[in-house]
Amino acid sequence: MNSMRVDNHPVFGSLEKRKNITIYFDDQPYAAYEGDTIASALLASGVRTLRCHEDKGTPRGIYCNIGHCFECRVRVHGQNTVRACLTPVENKMRIESGILATASFKGGKL
Amino acid sequence: MIDLVIIGAGPAGLGAAISAAENGLEVYILDEFVKPGGRLLGQLHEEPDGKWVNGIAEAEKLYKRAIQLGVNIRCGVSVYDLMKLDQGWCVYTTDNVMECKCLLLATGASETPIPIPGWTLPGVMSIGAAQVMGNVHRVKPGKKGIIIGVNVLSAAIARELQLCGVHIESILLPQPNLLSGDAANPEKMMESLLRLSHLAPSALIRFGGKWVSPKLGARLYPKNGFKMWDIPIQLRKSALEILGEKQVEGVRVAEITANGEVVSGTEKVVSVDFVCIAGGLAPLSELAAVAGCSFRFVPELGGHVPLHNEYMQTNLTGLYVAGNITGVESAKVARAQGTAAGLSIARELNALADHADEKIEAAIMEVMETRKNALIQFQPGIEEARKKLYSEFYETSEKASMI
Amino acid sequence: MGDNETVICRCEEITLKEIKETIERYQCSAREVKLRTRAGMGPCGGRTCRCMIDRLVEQLGGPSISNEISLSYRPPVRPVSFGVLGGDVK
Ligand SMILES: Cc1cc2nc3c(=O)[nH]c(=O)nc-3n(C[C@H](O)[C@H](O)[C@H](O)COP(=O)(O)OP(=O)(O)OC[C@H]3O[C@@H](n4cnc5c(N)ncnc54)[C@H](O)[C@@H]3O)c2cc1C
Ligand code: FES
Ligand code: FES
Repeated sequence: MNSMRVDNHPVFGSLEKRKNITIYFDDQPYAAYEGDTIASALLASGVRTLRCHEDKGTPRGIYCNIGHCFECRVRVHGQNTVRACLTPVENKMRIESGILATASFKGGKL
Repeated sequence: MIDLVIIGAGPAGLGAAISAAENGLEVYILDEFVKPGGRLLGQLHEEPDGKWVNGIAEAEKLYKRAIQLGVNIRCGVSVYDLMKLDQGWCVYTTDNVMECKCLLLATGASETPIPIPGWTLPGVMSIGAAQVMGNVHRVKPGKKGIIIGVNVLSAAIARELQLCGVHIESILLPQPNLLSGDAANPEKMMESLLRLSHLAPSALIRFGGKWVSPKLGARLYPKNGFKMWDIPIQLRKSALEILGEKQVEGVRVAEITANGEVVSGTEKVVSVDFVCIAGGLAPLSELAAVAGCSFRFVPELGGHVPLHNEYMQTNLTGLYVAGNITGVESAKVARAQGTAAGLSIARELNALADHADEKIEAAIMEVMETRKNALIQFQPGIEEARKKLYSEFYETSEKASMI
Repeated sequence: MGDNETVICRCEEITLKEIKETIERYQCSAREVKLRTRAGMGPCGGRTCRCMIDRLVEQLGGPSISNEISLSYRPPVRPVSFGVLGGDVK
């Protein structure tokens, strides 16, 4: 059993069995459950760093977990600025921590 | 053209969809989160009678009712712009563009941060992020953590994390600096804690009973804090820096005096693998801003709110607001506001058949009743602030109609 | 203390020190701070840092927070790709 998962909860009860799937983050395979977000699946596997700051190179992970801060942005199947906290995982999903120049964000557009 | 598009599937949006659809309107709800329910999903409270209020179950009830009434709910869709049409509104989403006669913004609140050195490290997250991770996704934010910021939300969520099997080392104050304001002041925090006594029955009532004056309370405050559900709340300690190479490894803390100054020589490092920042909530009103609404700055409601009245109308035709975008309050108030908004919109679209005005007035009364009985009050003075806001709404609309 | 290590705008990594110096030097509004430092211009559209910038300006003697939103929101409020910006009308 994964010690980061809250499979049993004193008030919510136990989780039903969910389908096991595999996702790839920077080419490494990780186990995930159907219904996870990219962020929750990776955190359950102990992965906190989702990207590095484009200019300063400092490591970043989730901050708000509800789509507001854009700290969790990753690349999924070649698409940029996918928020890991809002995106459900799919089997064999390929996720990259992505290297983006801030210039491409000017005006908030890509 | 669609009758009503609602942005946000929280208690306000769902509440509005239900009352609008009950009156025959065609309703679409859009939400960027993975499931409907908004921030209600993460909530778990123990009522004074010992019953648990389970946000996921509450959200499920609202969702089922809405679906039953034929409401279209689309999750995973973000709205990024709005435009006023001659008649109605145009909604730009990451999926498509929609046109509707009436538009309701029910986008809720966002969290205000407390910046401290090291807060960009992976493993530092907002308190709400930890709540959603644990209660909604059922993944622990970490094994052992510190919460920075003492307030209603941080105390409630500390307890929720504990129920998820997470160890909370302590809840303490932020480092005093230009931005921390009252949040770094033990006396002020003592005051706000006393407003919480109904939530932490045993510990706080005992505590509050002993030192009634916040001033005295902060000064006499035991050096090691006191415990609420076994979690140490330390009003005389503050977090100076979050440490770690690639992710959080610890927090440097120090003792502070009753007025918030760091006592030199008391620094030490506490090792943890995650840190939560609890700076409070502010209405998320960006869409009201791009739509062109007028705003008012109302600290009691959490910051800038779109000018609106008790019918949930903004100063723009066909544009309504409900829930935390109008001011930070509990989920029940948000839901009641949603119901009122749904009815007002039905009236605007001539769908409210009999006793329209009576129905709406009853819904507005319900909002006020719910507000009065709310278990969690984020700020004092909400009712007075709202009264003032509504009268300003009528003053400005009167002025506008005279021109 | 630690102004240099305290990041205010996470998106653009602008520190408390930089913002403080800008406000003190130019006696400026939140809008001007944004233009001078890029704080508030990141992918989150200033959602995370705007209230801190407003507050700093006020604390350091600039204009106090008023009814008007000092750092105006501009669409898109969520970054979107150009493909999406074209979208069809439903
Ligand atoms: C982190 C957090 C924790 C909270 N915890 C508690 C608590 O424990 N107890 C309590 O009483 N209150 C709590 N609150 C207050 C909470 O806001 C209210 O209880 C209630 O959920 C507000 O309801 P709402 O419908 O106004 O907004 P919400 O429930 O916040 O719902 C708003 C919805 O709008 C969606 N949305 C926003 N912008 C967009 C966009 N541009 N495009 C698409 N969708 C969008 C969001 O995804 C969200 O689902 C909390 C708030 C937050 C932010
Ligand atoms: S963590 Fe903030 S947007 Fe995903
Ligand atoms: S934190 Fe400043 S723009 Fe995002």
